[in-house]
Amino acid sequence: MKKKLVSVLLTAAMVASLVGCGGSKEEAPAETTEKTEASAEKAETPDENAEAPAESYQLDKITMVVNGTLTATVDNGQADFEKQWEDAVGVDLEIQQLDHSGYVDAVGRLFAGGDYPDVIIMSADMYAQYAPTGLLWDMTEAYENADFQARMALPTINEALKKDGKLYGFAPTYGNGCVTYVKQAWLDAVGLKAEDIKTYDDYYNMLLKFHNEDPDGNGVNGDTYGVVAAGFVGNEAPYINYLPEFWQDAYPALVQDANGTWIDGFQTDATKAALLRLQQAYADGAIDPETLTASTKIAREKWFSNDQTGSAGVFTYWAGSWYQTLTDNLIKNEVDENIVQLAPIAEVGKYLNREAPVWCIIDDGDGDNAREQAIFDAFIETMMDGDVVQTLWTYGAEDVHWSTKAESFVTNPDDPEKKKEYSYEDGVFHLKPSPNDPNSLWKKNHLDPALVVCPLTNGYVDQSELAVAGNKFFTENCVDAPISPASETYTNESGTIYDAKLAVITEVVVNGGDVDAAMETYVSTVGSIVDQCLSELNAAE
Amino acid sequence: MKKKKQAVMTSTGVPVRQKPLSLRIWNHRGYYIMFLPVLIFLIIMNYWPMLGIRYAFYDYKPVGEPVFVGLKHFEKMFSTDAFWVAFKNTLQLSIMKLILTTFTSVIVSIFLNEMGNLFAKKTLQTIIYLPHFMSWAVVASIFSLLLSPSSTGMVNGWLRDLGILAQDAKGIYFLADSKMWRPIFYLINIWKETGWGTIIFLATLSGINPELYEAGDIDGATRMQKIRYITLPALANTIITVLILNLAKVMNMFESVFVLYNNAVYDVSDVISTYIYRQTFAVALPNYGYSTAVGLFKSLVGCFLVLVCNWASKKTRGRGIV
Repeated sequence: MKKKLVSVLLTAAMVASLVGCGGSKEEAPAETTEKTEASAEKAETPDENAEAPAESYQLDKITMVVNGTLTATVDNGQADFEKQWEDAVGVDLEIQQLDHSGYVDAVGRLFAGGDYPDVIIMSADMYAQYAPTGLLWDMTEAYENADFQARMALPTINEALKKDGKLYGFAPTYGNGCVTYVKQAWLDAVGLKAEDIKTYDDYYNMLLKFHNEDPDGNGVNGDTYGVVAAGFVGNEAPYINYLPEFWQDAYPALVQDANGTWIDGFQTDATKAALLRLQQAYADGAIDPETLTASTKIAREKWFSNDQTGSAGVFTYWAGSWYQTLTDNLIKNEVDENIVQLAPIAEVGKYLNREAPVWCIIDDGDGDNAREQAIFDAFIETMMDGDVVQTLWTYGAEDVHWSTKAESFVTNPDDPEKKKEYSYEDGVFHLKPSPNDPNSLWKKNHLDPALVVCPLTNGYVDQSELAVAGNKFFTENCVDAPISPASETYTNESGTIYDAKLAVITEVVVNGGDVDAAMETYVSTVGSIVDQCLSELNAAE
Repeated sequence: MKKKKQAVMTSTGVPVRQKPLSLRIWNHRGYYIMFLPVLIFLIIMNYWPMLGIRYAFYDYKPVGEPVFVGLKHFEKMFSTDAFWVAFKNTLQLSIMKLILTTFTSVIVSIFLNEMGNLFAKKTLQTIIYLPHFMSWAVVASIFSLLLSPSSTGMVNGWLRDLGILAQDAKGIYFLADSKMWRPIFYLINIWKETGWGTIIFLATLSGINPELYEAGDIDGATRMQKIRYITLPALANTIITVLILNLAKVMNMFESVFVLYNNAVYDVSDVISTYIYRQTFAVALPNYGYSTAVGLFKSLVGCFLVLVCNWASKKTRGRGIV
């Protein structure tokens, strides 16, 4: 009897605990900013609240969550960047920099734990999923009334981000994209010129030569590859940007057709044709077989590796400053550093400019916009001030990452071949050696000066010739990528759909399977889910 | 009918008159106070997090309030092919790995036990223990390099040098081939864990009475006969114990698969934990409710296996494991 009583009591305790824990979560994101001066004339309704003057809110601190795009990392002068930002803005800044490759899941865990920052950077995919949830503050009015509008050079970037006329995130730069780089030494070795590569046949012929004609000159044919990439298809928009010459007009994702109707681009004939091209290239050795499993880091390192055996001649990667970075790495690994940017082949037409990453402000859900407006003013408005704070975001901390003071320094002082001397007069803007690598020059911080929507007004420019050339080349040869889908089913099932796509791609490309049979498997596996996504997306249009 | 309370007896069969529970607790209050921190730790670290299983019945996303959805996630789970593939793979990979590593450990233990040169024996033991201390990430990197299909892959290079592969033939992509992935996975596990697994068997072997071997020598038994009739029977109980204890852990397979698998071999490699990982962390706005439901199912199967093992243990050893 006693045991039964104890059992009943324990069960009751467990149920009580469950009920207790089942209570509602904190409704609002944890407020890290403190309201120290409440407005005495606080409006009653949300609409009236929307007009609450920002001056009524005294902002003490901003917590920010960012990925690896903030180049001033903890070991690379972040404390100085933070200090100078705080001095310039007068608000305490707390930076939480999350692992770049695991950013999406880290943010999910953060939110699930009720740990909401004030501002957060999101990729286009994340923005599309989070915008309808009510978590992100509608900054349309703040954006339209912002001081930086007077200097806005690229207004269409943020206009394109509006969902039903509302802007939930601000893109300080345009998205950028990937261009195809080719090793000049390999072209010379196989007797080709980059300007002659104009069609897919030309491109494919080049890849085959890189595989079969010993471009690295080690006397062995077949131990090099045409192209290497991080996967045959990417896991975030615009998906096809690492192998655009094979995908051409195919877009293997939910996408709007010419009439604005959402369709599954993966089930189109264009995708089937692209898969067959990839299949052929994989069989011929034109693509490095490790493309199937390579991460971006592995693909990059294979490409500029000191030992060019097993490397590839072609690598499609980010435009602009990466042109310089890839070149620097080739030099560092003592490989011929001359690389050329390949103009888009006829079948590709243009490279894709991805949807821009955006800075979002977390809405605390209290119906009062004063806090959010204050964050917008302190964080986003100053980010585009054209002067002190924008310079911090663009180049980093003064006298740490860059300077205008007279100075001389030497990089690689112990290596006569790489040694380079720099000397600047007083008042000349210049970049300093990286804090964590004195042998290489600092390049930029978070904002790429060539991509920014509002240019700097202080005239501070110190971009390498290659980075400038890379940005110019990309902007002349790009179109905007299709917008990312967002629907309830897609949010829940995007992982399952992605797995099914990978199964088809692997079956066709790696195993040489029949493309129609593989597509049938895809349809039978996730066809109904995709149809549900499409009907939700088209109903919302 | 009221069940008669069973009397507590001493070892000599004398009935003990029990004091009331409250009095017994008071009498042993020192022990209870000492146990209190452990109890609090267990509640906070082990039982409190278990309350999260309620989210298996909710739509629970990083944003917004959890919404009760009943058995929706379980319906979706049981109707998803990928889940069943992962479930089947979990059982197959775990059980086969367990059997192979256990029996390889037994064989290696017997070999080590038979070695006469103590220096060679100790050296060999040290060498085969070492892989156990390498992280799975390092092991995966090493084998990915060795088994690379590109021209730098060492195994493909050997195959070409030996004439098994033509010089101009494409390298074999061992880790992306559904037929080869499992054998390679088992081999890597054997390489990594066999040495460590020998410890318990070597301990048992060292406890075998040497007089048994001497008696075997007098009877003219060969070395193989002594292994068959003395060593193996002495090890049998330990082998069964090891198998039973490890059977309860078959659902907990993640790291070794996660670092070695890829999308080309999901059909033979995807296990429940990696399936949960992808459903949770590979999407922009995950539904933790679904992954909790899958995790709960995994835990229930694991719990069932523990009970089966407990039953099997009672049958074979005369005492349970829980």
